[in-house]
Amino acid sequence: MIALLRYQTAILLRSHRWIFPVVAYGLLISVGAASSTPLAEGLSWSAAMLVPVVAFLTRSMLIAEPDAARACVAAAAGPVPAQLAALVTALGAGVVLGLAGACFTVLTGEPVVTQPGSGAFSKIDATFAHPQVLTAGLATALVCLLVGSAAGTLCNPPLLRHPGAAMLATLAAIILALAANVSPASAALRHAGASPQTTSWPGGVPLLAAACLLAVIWGASLYAGARRDTRAPSAT
Amino acid sequence: MRLESVGKRYGLRQPWIVRDVSLDVPPGRLIRLEGRNGSGKSTLLRVAAGVSLPSAGRVTGRPHTGYVPERFPGGLPFSARDYVLHMARVHGLRGAAAARGADEWLERLGAAGYAGQPLRNLSKGMCQKVAIVQALLSRPGLLVLDEAWTGLDQAARGTLDAAVTERAADGGAVLFVDHDQARLAGRISERWRFDGEGRVTAVPGGASGQPAAADRTVVIELAGLEPESAARLAAMAGVLSCDGSVVRVTAGLSDDVLRQVLSWDGVHVTAVRTEKAPGR
Repeated sequence: MIALLRYQTAILLRSHRWIFPVVAYGLLISVGAASSTPLAEGLSWSAAMLVPVVAFLTRSMLIAEPDAARACVAAAAGPVPAQLAALVTALGAGVVLGLAGACFTVLTGEPVVTQPGSGAFSKIDATFAHPQVLTAGLATALVCLLVGSAAGTLCNPPLLRHPGAAMLATLAAIILALAANVSPASAALRHAGASPQTTSWPGGVPLLAAACLLAVIWGASLYAGARRDTRAPSAT
Repeated sequence: MRLESVGKRYGLRQPWIVRDVSLDVPPGRLIRLEGRNGSGKSTLLRVAAGVSLPSAGRVTGRPHTGYVPERFPGGLPFSARDYVLHMARVHGLRGAAAARGADEWLERLGAAGYAGQPLRNLSKGMCQKVAIVQALLSRPGLLVLDEAWTGLDQAARGTLDAAVTERAADGGAVLFVDHDQARLAGRISERWRFDGEGRVTAVPGGASGQPAAADRTVVIELAGLEPESAARLAAMAGVLSCDGSVVRVTAGLSDDVLRQVLSWDGVHVTAVRTEKAPGR
């Protein structure tokens, strides 16, 4: 599995598929931090923006490998680990982005309580003096990561093969994930938004729901990848 | 390895590509898959290689597998050598062993000069060599080749022939499809025939698929053979005798001899006949 993750990570980094998500996420959270927002609100925003970014990271990992190259990997390591490595790599990249986004927000947002001094250190001090805001923000980010990965996995090969439909479906799934009441990401964000000054732990329900959703959709993707082939062979 | 009632179709409402295939693949077997286009050879190869799961039945006891696809597009963002190194690690090789194996096999197939080139700049034949290297370098217990010879130059084809024979001699099983009927003739231990309706039957190997080919001798009469050429023929596998104008070869290995003879200028085949092997 280590070798597979290394291989998929190398594909992500060397193919420059990381550039678009990283730039997009950077822009999105900069917009959120433009008018000095309270830390809790900033963390919610940077968590919410993980949904589209991780969905598109997942999409790009699912279409990165040509079929023939995937077949060689599947023969060597099994079709399920081969597919799992691609999904985990995209999610892992999302975790890195999410942590970077949280750091950025801590440094740029309005501190939880105003303390004497306004440098970065005092902001970090203030954040860690009231850790519940940060942990709540990170928990919301985790829910959004899982939902984003689920959306990207559901709407792309091997579960949805048509190239145009996959793109549109991914966009639709992102909007639904952020707007629909039933979405765990939306639930976590609503919880965070309900009390912007004293954001509390979003509760286990959205997290559990997101984890279950992701498990089911990843399972379906792994099964579809192993059972149906990425494509019926073109010749005999 | 064993295929137990294996069937494959691409979707519940799709027709079966192959069905109810129960065949053994013991170690050391060199098996050729034969059938017209679309009869399911590639599909069964993919199932046997573990690239895709069967829709029915199961594959048991599959050893570590190397797979060479029919076409290997250079769509990955690696150089040839980096790709091979990544695949060596996926195949379970570590550090220095992986690097040594990669360089050795790239060299052997005549791709060493292109090792640093990005895959997307390589020609079809060169990409094919890279695909072959990744499959061979871990010395897999099962080697699956889907028209791996297509697009290779003459020297690389010879190298691949030798490597495949070597793998089988080492106890590895080999499954392959190739459009050249003469590919590895005489070294094949079994043929799987695809009838085009999803059924697959195994028949013993041999140059023409005839059983008990070793019981018979092929007599080839030649004109214009030089003594040194005759000596080379005498050294070839399966040649029983070579007296200057008449060569006797074990049936099943005669194709290699005939190909060799026909490649020489000024040598003509005047007659080919079979007779019962002496002493049988």
